[in-house]
Amino acid sequence: MRGWRSLLAKDWKMVVRNRILLGVLIIYPFLIMGVIGAAFQETGRPVPVGLVNLDEAREAGSLWICGESGSPAGWRRTLQRRAEDFVAYASGEEALAAFERGEVDALLLVAESSGGEEWCGARIANDRLEAMVGDLEDGWRGLRYYATAGEAESSLRDGECDAALGLLGKAYPYLAETIWLEGENYDAARLLRDFSRDVMEISDYASEKEALADLRSGRLDAVIVIPPGFISRLKTLEEVAGVKVVIDQSNLVKAEFAETGIRGFLSRVSERVVEEKMRAVVAGLYVLVTGGDFFGTQVVGLQEIGDNLRSIRDAVADRPELAGLVEQGIELAETVVADIEDAAAYLRGTALPVDLEVTSVAGRSLAAKDAVVPSLVALSMLWTGVLCGAILMVLEDEEGMRVRLRLTRMGPFALVGSKLLLAGAIVFLQSVVMLFLAVAAFGAFASSMHLALLTTALTALSCIGIGLVLAAFARQVAGAVILSVLVTFPLIFMTGAVFPLSQMPHFMRVIAHAIPLTYALEALSGVMLRGESLADVAWRLAVLLGFGVALLGLGSALVRRKSR
Amino acid sequence: MVERKDVTKGNVDEGNGAVISARGLGKEFNGIWALKGVDLSLERGETLGVIGPNGAGKTTLIRVLTGQISPSSGEIHCEGKVVDPARLGFRMRIGLVPQEASFYGRLTARENLALLARLYGLAGEEAAARTDELLQWSGLLEHSRRQVRFFSRGMQQRLSLAMGLVHRPEIVFLDEPTSGLDPEARSAVWELILRLQEEGRTVFMTTHNMEEADHICTRLAILVKGEIREQGTPQRIKSLLGTDRVELRLSEERQGELEELCSSLGIYWKKEGEAYVLTGVDLPEKLPAIISRLAVGLRDMHYREVTLEDAFLRFMREVEG
Repeated sequence: MRGWRSLLAKDWKMVVRNRILLGVLIIYPFLIMGVIGAAFQETGRPVPVGLVNLDEAREAGSLWICGESGSPAGWRRTLQRRAEDFVAYASGEEALAAFERGEVDALLLVAESSGGEEWCGARIANDRLEAMVGDLEDGWRGLRYYATAGEAESSLRDGECDAALGLLGKAYPYLAETIWLEGENYDAARLLRDFSRDVMEISDYASEKEALADLRSGRLDAVIVIPPGFISRLKTLEEVAGVKVVIDQSNLVKAEFAETGIRGFLSRVSERVVEEKMRAVVAGLYVLVTGGDFFGTQVVGLQEIGDNLRSIRDAVADRPELAGLVEQGIELAETVVADIEDAAAYLRGTALPVDLEVTSVAGRSLAAKDAVVPSLVALSMLWTGVLCGAILMVLEDEEGMRVRLRLTRMGPFALVGSKLLLAGAIVFLQSVVMLFLAVAAFGAFASSMHLALLTTALTALSCIGIGLVLAAFARQVAGAVILSVLVTFPLIFMTGAVFPLSQMPHFMRVIAHAIPLTYALEALSGVMLRGESLADVAWRLAVLLGFGVALLGLGSALVRRKSR
Repeated sequence: MVERKDVTKGNVDEGNGAVISARGLGKEFNGIWALKGVDLSLERGETLGVIGPNGAGKTTLIRVLTGQISPSSGEIHCEGKVVDPARLGFRMRIGLVPQEASFYGRLTARENLALLARLYGLAGEEAAARTDELLQWSGLLEHSRRQVRFFSRGMQQRLSLAMGLVHRPEIVFLDEPTSGLDPEARSAVWELILRLQEEGRTVFMTTHNMEEADHICTRLAILVKGEIREQGTPQRIKSLLGTDRVELRLSEERQGELEELCSSLGIYWKKEGEAYVLTGVDLPEKLPAIISRLAVGLRDMHYREVTLEDAFLRFMREVEG
């Protein structure tokens, strides 16, 4: 240890006299802390949710229930059998005109095996229509609800369903329901809005399709579809009122936030409804126990009956056959009272009138490994791309060749172009191997490998562009590596790869949208996990391309300026 | 005192006969002028050496003349016409050997030369032939398949020189070509530079090494604080100081007295080992006075011709006052 004091003093001087070292060791950690702190400071922001309320009170509105019936012809026959009057139409225009004129209560649109469509209409009694709707909601798979015939037709043509049943609002009794809760009358939309305050930021959508488009684009974290009859089921408690929730599971943290938030608020709705309902039920049950007014009829309560029996117990003590009956009566009254009290307590604690059907926007439930792949690929591309771009360019300085190269006939973009091609090949090949390994070896889900590869190719441009920009500020490979690490590290936190953008404060979201990796991550998640098409992600790819071109141009200009 | 002669003007070509000439060349970096009004010309086939202390602006001058950086003032002429050295036409006429190592260490000597040959527009076979020619010229043919990072410093410098000649330039700029080399390697590089002269190429070089400047250059320019202070042949520069040089050895107790006496007589002195070296244009007239004063302690005395280094050191003392 001899000499340690002198060495310590020397190290101290070398650190405090080196601005770069001071920045890296002391200022940078605080900067990172600020970035991460800012990202997480508003945790618990309302989750942006789209609401598709098909339980709206609409006199003249219509509702289209679409799904995979399995047997379109069979359902056609079912409608014909239940109808008072059944009409087969030659064309959709004719059928819709009759529907709008109110000549029929329901329209059935089915896909023919030949590829065409068949339209038929029916005049049908409300109870039969209700029964039919109940049957098809039980029997059809992949149910979707639309407000217009156009959306139903397009869903059928896209192959999302093989049958659609159109109902007129005035003919379908579930379209105008409200529920009395906490002294106020709620329809489905108001119920959700009021009870989800502070938890969700609700935007209304006319159709599920529109809402899902916004979910895919990242504007929403979840979509809630309130089916027709939701309030009616809540009111009657005859059956569970189902709510369909579609969540973007491509980001695990985002999905968890959304699902927890929605479950939490729906459980509050359940509690209130149950409480309200139980109050009425228990009040009714207690009338049986205590006696009183029961829906306009004065009834004698079981307790009073028991008391009366007890009061005559002594009087009939000498008549054993009567005394036995009185004892049995007292015992029965006490048992029934106890049972009613137990039932009331049980109902209070166990009734769950609302049920959630949670599905993924991808159309299948995603595992953690599925959701991790796009982030993993994007982050490794950022790392390799930035390092490759910076190191390959700085190597020219380190080898002292930049001066010689400038004197040759080399074209103005030859240097940047050669780096871009090599770095691009390295980054792209790496991402291809990672994607194939993830899918083939680990069974991760990728709905479109082609689009994922296209996205990675465009992402590579931006990452290498960042590297070239950094190369302008370093003269040695070691410096380029340190700079790359300093820049990529905070980017990981700012792009939504770790923490969902929707939960970040506004200024952090603005910053995130100025970073190309944010778009890369969204596009990769979209095409791999949310089943997005080229048209869906085209604008993100265009932004990525724009960032790539701009960063490569800037990097190229800075590198040329540096060599002068 | 040094006789100041304005040799600069006499040597500046008006732009007609010179291959390349600079007129009032200046370069400013953040308010500091690294070059100030440099007037310089380079005749065809000559080897012009620019000497000067560290920070005098030698490398900046090469960077400006080779178009790596733009001048803040002044013009560069090539065969009488104003040129932009960054333009391809001019670039193809010049070759550059930078001061720092400048090659791809993980490529072989052949690969380095072949790459530059292709970048200078030589086609496949022509590039290969030129590469062989230069490997032969630099004496690296037998090492041509080794990665350059395993070369000795001298071999690397020979390769660097060859790389500056790939496109057969008329004018070769050498920035301190033997800096950091051992005597053997330095001698090998000198031999290559002399061969360039024999081939009739025009050479512009900077150096710290006065022996090199004297041995290699046909003409010299002294650059101090961004300004050309003197120009001329090595003989001419040396003659500014006179040709006399006396080496004295004397007892230790008389050394202080010698130094004082030299200062009072205006004679320049420096110590080389135990010997005092005295120089000056009027040394013969002043020498008797010195000998008579220090005769008692005088052990040894030799007369020698003045070197360029003596002249340069004396000149710098003069400049720095």
